[in-house]
Amino acid sequence: MSAGSEGSRPADEPPPQDGLVSRRWFVNRMAWVSSAAAAGTLLSPRPAVSSRRGAAMGEEAFATTVRPQAREDLTEATISESMTLLRSGTVTPADLVNAHVDRIERFDHLYQAYAARPTREDLLAQAGRTPPGGLDAPLRGICLAPKDNFYTADLLTEGGSLVYEGFQPNYDGTAVALMRAAGGLVVGKAQMGNLAGGRARVYGTTTPTTRNAWAPNDVRLSPAGSSSGTGAAVAARLAVAGIGTQTGGSVIGPGNAEGLTCIKPTFGRISLHGVIPLSYTRDHVGPMARNALDAAILLQVLAQPDPKDPRSLGLPPAPNYVLAATPFPGDNPAVRWPTRIGVWPGYLTASNGRGGSNERVIELRRELIATLERNPSVDVVGEVTMPDQWDELTSGALGGSHGDPTAFFMEELRKDVRDFADRLPRFLNGMLQSADTYVKVQQARNLLLQRMLTQLFNQCDVVLTSGTGPFDGTGLPAMCMPIGFDTDSTTGRKVPRGATLAAPPFGEQRMFAVVAAYQAVTDFHTRRPADPVS
Amino acid sequence: MPRQVPPTPTDEELNTYILTRYALLGIDISVLPESDEDAPMDRERLLANGRSILRQDVEVADFEIDPQFNLPVTHPAPFTAWTEE
Repeated sequence: MSAGSEGSRPADEPPPQDGLVSRRWFVNRMAWVSSAAAAGTLLSPRPAVSSRRGAAMGEEAFATTVRPQAREDLTEATISESMTLLRSGTVTPADLVNAHVDRIERFDHLYQAYAARPTREDLLAQAGRTPPGGLDAPLRGICLAPKDNFYTADLLTEGGSLVYEGFQPNYDGTAVALMRAAGGLVVGKAQMGNLAGGRARVYGTTTPTTRNAWAPNDVRLSPAGSSSGTGAAVAARLAVAGIGTQTGGSVIGPGNAEGLTCIKPTFGRISLHGVIPLSYTRDHVGPMARNALDAAILLQVLAQPDPKDPRSLGLPPAPNYVLAATPFPGDNPAVRWPTRIGVWPGYLTASNGRGGSNERVIELRRELIATLERNPSVDVVGEVTMPDQWDELTSGALGGSHGDPTAFFMEELRKDVRDFADRLPRFLNGMLQSADTYVKVQQARNLLLQRMLTQLFNQCDVVLTSGTGPFDGTGLPAMCMPIGFDTDSTTGRKVPRGATLAAPPFGEQRMFAVVAAYQAVTDFHTRRPADPVS
Repeated sequence: MPRQVPPTPTDEELNTYILTRYALLGIDISVLPESDEDAPMDRERLLANGRSILRQDVEVADFEIDPQFNLPVTHPAPFTAWTEE
């Protein structure tokens, strides 16, 4: 453990949830999810175990100070800062709405972050009906950008695809309903990759739409996908925060591309009811925000058991994420719990995890690790050893989910395969995968999860990694945060670079604590991209 | 008796298999262009992807999982929630 001041970390801090939950239980639970994927909800029409609501929002959610730039431009304020401004009475929900709609009307024809938006009048009317602020309605007046695969009763939900073109749900997905019940406002439905794959495009084509907020005038710099619009909207200050979905890196990817702080929580932690499905066993909802505290506030609102999604039931109640994301005071605040941080093999030699190398990214990663090593509660344990048969279990068909989306979309596939455009193979592949392969893929996934828990997370509590694939397939949580800037080799633009962390089941608190401590001594998460040139 | 290894299927044979499977399920891919790199999808790319998926099946079949492998069971077993035992 590094030398340094212990800060003010109390000795009696309750342990985080990752140390309280049986890992064996989680392995068994994920095996149940595999079974449920085949049987659907028929397997579990009602929860077999009780599910308690998560922790209430803590007072820590309110920012103790509000930056001057956030007072001058309300689109700059974080969720936490907006909560403080609203409570002080200096700002109203209508002020927040007008500030964001002004900016959207001025710039979104360039960013192309939104697929559908309510009118200013609709939003102001909704703002007038929001419940009184405070801890019961922490998102009061907060302008949010859910990805366009979340059902919304008042806005089209098209999933970035011709398959859902013109689709108007008659109810809100659970995640949207929870945000609205907490006072949040859907300022727009964010563009997304076709049926949750790739960057956002014109429906049915490969023509890109949404721009990266760090190069809004240059289409070549990708916003990543598939939660492209949410990432761009949050980075461009067209929304305070948002929610994306991740089946294979679709929250963490755009988060890193846009310099955001995002979390893909443990599988089932946020209900998937009212989300266009891709995979029953791999889909996750993930908050996308500007810092750890905002991501924690969103997760606190969203992490509730939902009788309409059995995958969200029977989990340990959500702990106090907001407290976990609140750094201790001091110049170098300790991570809230002593934490061993492992480093993925090749993390300091190959920047993109696929053999590519970028010296600046490597340099930023070294600086990140040096900063973490200076934290009095962190022990950077170095490169981890990978579990047995890692390559076999994480690559090719064994590491994928080829068959998952096919069953959901059979009717649409029969209607007209052209509606699926470039994503068609992904949706047809299930017809070519044999039953024995599907069974073996599920078995291998459980074997991989067991080995990750016993052979990887026995070495560390959190791991720095380049990609999230193995964590998506096994339902383990991951998070990203910005760690500096680089020059994009194609566009020559200054772009943010991020780091990805992953943890064992219910490791959200520990990741929030690490990211919050890092963000207390760095300011990359506060950097704002320049406005586009009209 | 020596083991007989059947010849590896050709691309054409796999294409026939894929198209038959789609047709059986009522999927019409004839609406796609035969080969057009400017189109979001064409039959040539679709069939190439399908062949790749089928060949990956062979890799999966080659991966051996101990038939005696079982996940460790929690104690008490979660089934007590149903059986009330």
